[in-house]
Amino acid sequence: MRIFVIIGRVLDPAGIVVNRRRGRIFVNQKDYILQPADRCALEAALRIKDAVGAEVVALPRGLQPDDDVMRQAVAAGADRAVHLTGEAFAEADEAAVTDVLAAAVERLDGADLILTGSTTLDAGQGQLGPRMAAAMGWPQVLDAWRVMATDGQVEAVLQGGSGYVTVAADLPAVVTLLPGALKLRYPDGARLINVYRGEGDVAEAVATWDVEELVDAVEPLLERRGKDFPPERERGMRVDGSPEEMAQAAAGALLERLGKVGGHDVIS
Amino acid sequence: MDFTFSPEHTALRRMIREFAENEVAPIAAEIDREHRVPYDVMRKLGEVGLLGVCFPQEYGGMGAGEMGYCILMEELGRICTSTATNVGAHIGIGAMAIYLDGDEEQKEKYLKPLASGEKFAAFGLTESNAGSDAANINTRAVREGDSWFLDGGKIYITNGGYADVITVLAVTDPSLGARGGITAFILESDWEGFSVAREEDKMGIRGTSTAELVFDGLRVPQENVLGKVGEGFVTFMKSLDMGRLTLGAACLGGAQAAVDWSVEWAKTRQQFGAEIAHKQSVQWMIADMATEVEALRSLVYRVAWMVDSGQSFTQLAAMCKMYGSEVASRAIDMALQIHGGLGLSRDFPIERAFRDARIAEIFEGTNEIQRIVIASNIFRQHGVRIRP
Repeated sequence: MRIFVIIGRVLDPAGIVVNRRRGRIFVNQKDYILQPADRCALEAALRIKDAVGAEVVALPRGLQPDDDVMRQAVAAGADRAVHLTGEAFAEADEAAVTDVLAAAVERLDGADLILTGSTTLDAGQGQLGPRMAAAMGWPQVLDAWRVMATDGQVEAVLQGGSGYVTVAADLPAVVTLLPGALKLRYPDGARLINVYRGEGDVAEAVATWDVEELVDAVEPLLERRGKDFPPERERGMRVDGSPEEMAQAAAGALLERLGKVGGHDVIS
Repeated sequence: MDFTFSPEHTALRRMIREFAENEVAPIAAEIDREHRVPYDVMRKLGEVGLLGVCFPQEYGGMGAGEMGYCILMEELGRICTSTATNVGAHIGIGAMAIYLDGDEEQKEKYLKPLASGEKFAAFGLTESNAGSDAANINTRAVREGDSWFLDGGKIYITNGGYADVITVLAVTDPSLGARGGITAFILESDWEGFSVAREEDKMGIRGTSTAELVFDGLRVPQENVLGKVGEGFVTFMKSLDMGRLTLGAACLGGAQAAVDWSVEWAKTRQQFGAEIAHKQSVQWMIADMATEVEALRSLVYRVAWMVDSGQSFTQLAAMCKMYGSEVASRAIDMALQIHGGLGLSRDFPIERAFRDARIAEIFEGTNEIQRIVIASNIFRQHGVRIRP
């Protein structure tokens, strides 16, 4: 069995402070972590490998600044990983990323199962799994808590109603994992050191490909026309005085605002 | 000069931090309260290869060098001094003596299971009359044929109550003194003649075993002589150099934790209508703590780099241990002051850190001994040999 797991990284939220009063986001520490849902997808792939034997190949969910995520995947137990680069990839939206990944899967002789996170911590669009399924023409199982593959089928546990349901699909298929579904194992220490140093039996495990070798052109469906921000919210007001005075002031302010909303005087 | 960590060491720190926060932090207060060694955590550390972090992969280690080992100790020291101490006694001095001077058979037999956490190590030097005066040991080893028979004992041996493998020093020729008359041996704790007399009930590092060991006609085969006969004192001093560096790294973690706790508290605690972060007295304490922590960090990782690049580092390792332990004590003391009465509460980790920090000024050579080591090295460079 060949399992492809698609993973990416995100700024560690622990290093980010949101100052609502000033309307600003401060990045105090620029540390990156694996996307939490992608971690679960990687662990799910490794568990299937442990249980029934499989080759696990990691691919990036879009352009990554370096191959660190791919090395993390191999350190954790993936057999190999392909880091994808190329200037054209920088402008890729989810649709274009899907095209590139589908081409990469084909170049790597196909897969029986593709696993990825159900959502990302930053964009949070959750498009990649469904788009991969559509691109490959395979069935999809979204938002799984557990996944196991055997005998040409994949079984996944999903939340359904007040409990959980187990669903099955024929392989090949795409399954997305929810963040927090599984705890990613610690890498073996020596393997981790070797994969970063490019030594030992994982010396050749991380390859780098240019996306231009995979697709003729990276074609995003989205067109960026600039940035715009919503209008600044009107600030609230602080009222002081006795409870009666405060209530009167608050009521007066509300009525004034209602009057503005309606475009005419609502106080009769 | 390049002060950045390599990608493998950055990845290693990420792995260790995650391990420490997930596996060690939840039990740190509990093992202190229950005076219990965290065996499960030690085994897990072995399973992922961290107990062999600095040893070459041919001996079952990770091959991350002294730099990797310092990262391990810093991250464990940040979360739990007891766990860092267990690991330090196991790797930094116990197994290290075998790595430094063991022959290939000894490394195969002992270092590999120690690196994997299948077995645990301790380092037996201190005796009732030989603390700072480490050469004044009384444990005697007498050779009969291809065996040595040990009589005597050791005190204050970290990991002593549960270690499977213990490296010890014994006098083999009383006429020769430390240089020539003392030999290192590798013992196994299930051998006849070995016993654990008592466990210390301590103020700090309560999640560790500090034991008194007794050797009563303990037979040690000749192949378990560590290094050459008569050169054990040198083996042990070399091991202590390694241990002192990484003890400094553990202190760095403890001191950094004190800064982190203080900053968080100062951001939220309000007095006189404002967060105490706005009070100059608190700012100055945090500035002093943070500056010392950064100075210690530079020292520790510079010495780790020196070890990994094969340079001499005895004097600087003593500085790491001495300065590190004092920086940690000062930082934790200031953190307690910033937290006020709450700092003494067992609901917060500061009181535990305060109790745990004290030992670092004492074990692996008191800070007074470290100052002697540092000064004697400096004077030696100027042609003066300091007399003990």
